[in-house]
Amino acid sequence: MEHEKGSDLRDLLIVLPGCEKLDMCFSCGTCVSRCPIQQKIEPAYNPRRLLKMIALNMQQESFTSITPYLCSACDLCYSACPQEIHISAVLNGVKKLAMQAGFSTPLKTARVDALTCVGCGFCEKVCPYQAITVKETNVPLRGKNLLIAEVDGAKCMACGTCSSICRSNSIELQDRENSEEVVQDLWSWLETVEMGAEK
Amino acid sequence: MTQKKPLIVLFQCQYCLASSLDQYWVEQELPENVKRVKVPCSGRIDPLYILNAIQGGADGIMVCGCMPEKCHYKEGNLHARRTLNEFRNFLNTLGYPQERFVFHWMNIDERGVIQPLLASFEERLKRSKDRPRLANRMLNQENG
Amino acid sequence: MVDAARHPKIDVRTYTNVERVEGYVGNFKVQLREKARHVLADRCNGCGECSKACPIEVPNYFEMNLAPRKAAYVPMSQSVPLRYTIDEEACIHCYKCVDACGALEAIDFSQEDKVVWEDIGSIVVATGFNHFDPSVIPEYGYGRYPNVITAMEMERLNNSAGPTTGNLIRPSDQKNPQRLAIINCVGSRDKRFNPWCSNFCCMYAIKNAVLLKQMNPELEISIYYMDIRTPSKGYEEFYDRARSMGIRFIQGRPSLITEDPQTKNLFVHSEDVVLGKISELEYDMVMLNQAAVPQPDVDTVSSVLNITQSPGGWFMEYHPKLRPVDSPTDGIFLAGACQGLKDIPSSVSSGLATASRAGRILHSDEWEIEPIIAQVWEDRCVMAQGKVCGVCSRACPYGAIVIEEGKAASVTVAKCHGCGGCVAECPHNAITQMHFTDAQVLAQMRALLADRPEEKIFAFRCHWCSYGGADLAGTSHFDYSANERGIRVMCSARMDPDFIYEAFRLGAGAVLYSGCHPQDCHYITGQRVGATRADRLQKLFEKLEMTSGRFRIEWISAAEGDKYSRVINEMQKVIDNIPHDQLMAEIERLRPEMEKRARRMYETPGVDKALVYSDEMVQAITAKEVKSGA
Repeated sequence: MEHEKGSDLRDLLIVLPGCEKLDMCFSCGTCVSRCPIQQKIEPAYNPRRLLKMIALNMQQESFTSITPYLCSACDLCYSACPQEIHISAVLNGVKKLAMQAGFSTPLKTARVDALTCVGCGFCEKVCPYQAITVKETNVPLRGKNLLIAEVDGAKCMACGTCSSICRSNSIELQDRENSEEVVQDLWSWLETVEMGAEK
Repeated sequence: MTQKKPLIVLFQCQYCLASSLDQYWVEQELPENVKRVKVPCSGRIDPLYILNAIQGGADGIMVCGCMPEKCHYKEGNLHARRTLNEFRNFLNTLGYPQERFVFHWMNIDERGVIQPLLASFEERLKRSKDRPRLANRMLNQENG
Repeated sequence: MVDAARHPKIDVRTYTNVERVEGYVGNFKVQLREKARHVLADRCNGCGECSKACPIEVPNYFEMNLAPRKAAYVPMSQSVPLRYTIDEEACIHCYKCVDACGALEAIDFSQEDKVVWEDIGSIVVATGFNHFDPSVIPEYGYGRYPNVITAMEMERLNNSAGPTTGNLIRPSDQKNPQRLAIINCVGSRDKRFNPWCSNFCCMYAIKNAVLLKQMNPELEISIYYMDIRTPSKGYEEFYDRARSMGIRFIQGRPSLITEDPQTKNLFVHSEDVVLGKISELEYDMVMLNQAAVPQPDVDTVSSVLNITQSPGGWFMEYHPKLRPVDSPTDGIFLAGACQGLKDIPSSVSSGLATASRAGRILHSDEWEIEPIIAQVWEDRCVMAQGKVCGVCSRACPYGAIVIEEGKAASVTVAKCHGCGGCVAECPHNAITQMHFTDAQVLAQMRALLADRPEEKIFAFRCHWCSYGGADLAGTSHFDYSANERGIRVMCSARMDPDFIYEAFRLGAGAVLYSGCHPQDCHYITGQRVGATRADRLQKLFEKLEMTSGRFRIEWISAAEGDKYSRVINEMQKVIDNIPHDQLMAEIERLRPEMEKRARRMYETPGVDKALVYSDEMVQAITAKEVKSGA
């Protein structure tokens, strides 16, 4: 045995809640086709392969793979898995281990504009992942000990629910589906169609 | 005189269409009078988007998201349902009739549903007589 | 089947239920209920005029409900015997069939169920299997999408005697499909429904694909599979042939089937595992190759025949490798898929095997059994003294003990398999088991615990499982404490509480009570008899404030040598953790209580001799050791 017992990626994961059946995967691919992510977002996303990588102790590859970061724990795959593996728990476990090892999520997570946030806490309430907390923060140019929302990048899955509720437009997903862009796009379309209709 | 086709804004959650053919249709083959706004989750739909669309002259708004329990972001769709329902009631009191603002929660095994859905919505919009304008464009331009 | 019906020595009873089975090997008495057909079997010539005249149509189960049948019917045209039956639930009593039958006068609406008793020498159970209903899997849409069909429906659709005379059509629009998907493992190898592999479906899918391809080479067929299992002779070659015929094999379990609402075409969503990409392919028709499951009435059959079930509901064989067609009850045999999933060749061979096993009984005047049967000391049995007891009869898994008021219990020797449950349960020590008498077991215990008993771990092992487990631990060289001393009894049911008391009275450091896992017991319910008793003992010892861990119950199978060694080592640790003087004090404290509880055993015949004998043996062994040591 090359490895010390308990140091394999599989050994670290199997003790986590929900990961007990990790070894049971027989690679049928149900999870991959049940999940909308590969088709809609990221062709490289493949939980079946990640489970195989865990079994083969491919730690580096698992941590750099996009798969653990994209899973948003909707558990559509869990109800379809013939081996009853709680795949989202496994992916979340890998994600946590990766974060501990210093990797960070490639997602464009939500970001708070500290200059406008009023700390109302709406976003904290609606976040499905409990990624937002309202904290006392020292904001430059605004003063000390202000109540400001803060996003935990490790938990945020970039769904954008927080920015839809924000009354002061202070929380926004980085890059993707920026409010201003969406509205601009909408207006320009409406203008061109109206113009076309008038002709 | 041919009647002008009603303008429809379709807010679509990126995961709600399981069929790739439907997804392609929504992305590439939508009729000209329909504008698709892609959002990561129906929970992302800001009431301001809808307000902007209406102010800009949209005749109908359709929101299309995942079924309850099937949300890719756990409960984003529930949040959307609560907020937007409330907003819809509010618009109604302002004089923008409810039937111009519809929701459709797509089931994961539905296929070929979005096309007839849009068609029938368009048909209903055509038939409805009142063509409300919540605000004129001048007002919006003043706002920038 | 026709040959069987014509054979002078074979009597085929169809439409008949077995309701009760009494007696024992070679001498069964079986109660049969011949259900009323409302047709006189000796007059009906199978002409079918009644069926033509009948105005009622109900779904035909034999055609998988794809076609109708009349209320006067035969299940299929090749039925043996070809005698019509009137379905009482569907019949409206118009009596048109009576007129149609005419001069034959074979129809008799006054007929009632007939109950008869038959003398039977041996019984073969061949009740087969059922198919899984895939409508409980929502993602495959069976029952919602008309063009998703099961394998059995496909079987009828492409059968030339079927409802479409072999013309494969789509249920939605009666057109011939051009693209067909076959999905394997629907409901099998799926922990949500049935964990087992259904054995024959891979070959079945390939067979159907090849057949359909031969009938229509234009048909595109894809088989979705997780693993293709082709283990028998010629199977892999058949698989190769299917591949060379252009049948497409896609590795990946579909997660979803969606339907186009206009065309009713189906889209199968699956990951192509080899490519690692999702495929969403369009088909005209999808066949679900559903799992095989036990018959819905297995519980009734197993309680009538006293056969146990393995996990899942398959009938349990006596020994999976060495006696695969015998049931645990002598004279009852298991043929075909009711014992576990089998394809046709294996079913035929198991059928032939049961025939020869059953014939052996019919041809012999005497039947040899193991001599380890139970025997009653009539003078000790309280039933003979007019008291009410019957504990032994309740403990017997085979119903071998007959109790009658005022008479001593009596053992039906041919039914007794020698588990010893009754012996251990009898509160008056009135039953003994030959070759495992109280005296014999006691002599062994006394010999094994003669020297420094407080250091010993005394293990009771059952013959079939934990004894095998200990054996395996030895042959596999798993280390376990050398202080273990074990004796073998046939079943955990034989592990008399008196033995446990005696072991502790003799000063054993720890006692292990081990046997089979509940589902593996070779004596049907013997383990349960033992387990209930062991739990009672455990509670008693807790009450007596015995250090926990000194008495331990473990169910260890013959394959669990590692578990046996682990358990013994853990028990050794328990003893090591008690300071010696404290352990000795505890043994002394409990000794009078143990002696009191085991007192009845000392009265049983032979025990006095056993004590002397074991003492002599101990002395002899010690002398020998001293000699060889010197």
